[in-house]
Amino acid sequence: MEVKDLVGLSWIGILGILLIVAIVALLFSTYNRIIVLSNQADNAWSQIDVQLKKRADLVPNLVETVKGYMQHEQKAIEMVTQARERMLGAGDVKERMDAGNALAGALKTIFALAENYPALRASENFKLLQEQLDGIESKIAYARQFYNDSVLSYNNAISTIPGRWFAGMMGRTTQRPYLEIPEAERAPVKVTF
Amino acid sequence: MQRTTFYEQISKNKRDSLLLTVFVVLVVVLLVYVMARIFLPESAMLLPAIAVLFMIAQVQMSYNYGDQIVLKATNAQPADPIRNIHLVNTVEGLSLAAGIPTPKIYVVESNEINAFAVGRDPEHASIAVTTGALGGLDRDELEGVIGHEISHIRNFDIRFMTIVAVMVGLAGILSHMLLRMYWYGGPQTRRGERRREGGLSILILVGIVLAVIAPLVSRLVQAFISRRREMLADASGAQLTRYPEGLASALEKIKSYNKGNMDISDSISHLFISDPNRNPLDELFATHPPLEERIRILRAM
Repeated sequence: MEVKDLVGLSWIGILGILLIVAIVALLFSTYNRIIVLSNQADNAWSQIDVQLKKRADLVPNLVETVKGYMQHEQKAIEMVTQARERMLGAGDVKERMDAGNALAGALKTIFALAENYPALRASENFKLLQEQLDGIESKIAYARQFYNDSVLSYNNAISTIPGRWFAGMMGRTTQRPYLEIPEAERAPVKVTF
Repeated sequence: MQRTTFYEQISKNKRDSLLLTVFVVLVVVLLVYVMARIFLPESAMLLPAIAVLFMIAQVQMSYNYGDQIVLKATNAQPADPIRNIHLVNTVEGLSLAAGIPTPKIYVVESNEINAFAVGRDPEHASIAVTTGALGGLDRDELEGVIGHEISHIRNFDIRFMTIVAVMVGLAGILSHMLLRMYWYGGPQTRRGERRREGGLSILILVGIVLAVIAPLVSRLVQAFISRRREMLADASGAQLTRYPEGLASALEKIKSYNKGNMDISDSISHLFISDPNRNPLDELFATHPPLEERIRILRAM
């Protein structure tokens, strides 16, 4: 064998090694990306739950504050309390979210009715509660948005190449479902009593 | 698709931070070496080594304490959880939307409408808003501004920008020193070194050129990169709020209301959402794209 042949052989060897390294690197990074995105979606899901619970915690305060001023709105207050109890009794996040939507609707009714009670609206405590509940409302919306964004990137990762090749081996072929925007949040509230 | 561009943006920012640091360190080492060759020929290797150590310390410090320094320099006060409840809620909500931990929230006393974000990564980030912005912007507009700042944090712009601030300042100081030394001291000449005279005058020329160009180039780099990043943060901020009009109308207010006289050091002006020291003369060095253009692009989304 001549020296020239040896040099050629070693080049092929180096290229082969580089190719293997590149494939292994791709494998690792794709695997990690799918796992990271899946964890991110799980985390986003639990963030929604955290916000839902925070809202439930604020409700008794609101009821306490409102009760003194709105004697004639027992029914609306009752609805808020009931929705909250249903939410706390919910078995899983999905159920809690549905109950949470009912609670959001009931709260909107309370705030709409509060327009008729100037003394209540002037109370510092009420203003703060309203701001807090407004804040949580938009935080829930943002948490849902982040969940949907996370689901989008996860679904993209497992259905596009190269993730598609590994998703089957990892047993992660099912697309995660998106959250729908609840009807109550799309339409403005109507107060009918 | 959008997400992958964010990931690319983040890794690009981390890489750019490193590249810029290496570039400026090299330029400064060259500058110091030339200085040393001219003024202290016997320790020509020692000074650059000291300079490198000094700069590593500087970068390390700006990496760890850059946010404290900027917050101190702008006299930012921690936001009050009751009085600034709306601001706190908005920041918390948009952090949720971006999937980052809530940054520390500050308020800066000023009539101007402005805001900035600092820190090294989303886990160590702060966001500051002026009292003018809290009073002058409505909910959607404030949301737009906060969305812009949160994107700076999520995209790691803040790390890059903090390092840029330190580097630009450093390049300025060093070239200033060199020019001063030429002016007042002049190179020391000794009898035994006459034959090196020719080489020396070339060195002096190189030194002067470097000293004049270094701060200029670093300013240009700062301005160019900063402008591109502002555009990107506008776009990804609008993606967080899902409402580009909020930021567009906030910028509209900034345009008609701000006088651009916040008295902020030039080396940190690129951290703000709108240039705190507006000067119509230096468009080339402007750290922000023209407001009209930003508004136009947001409205076209």
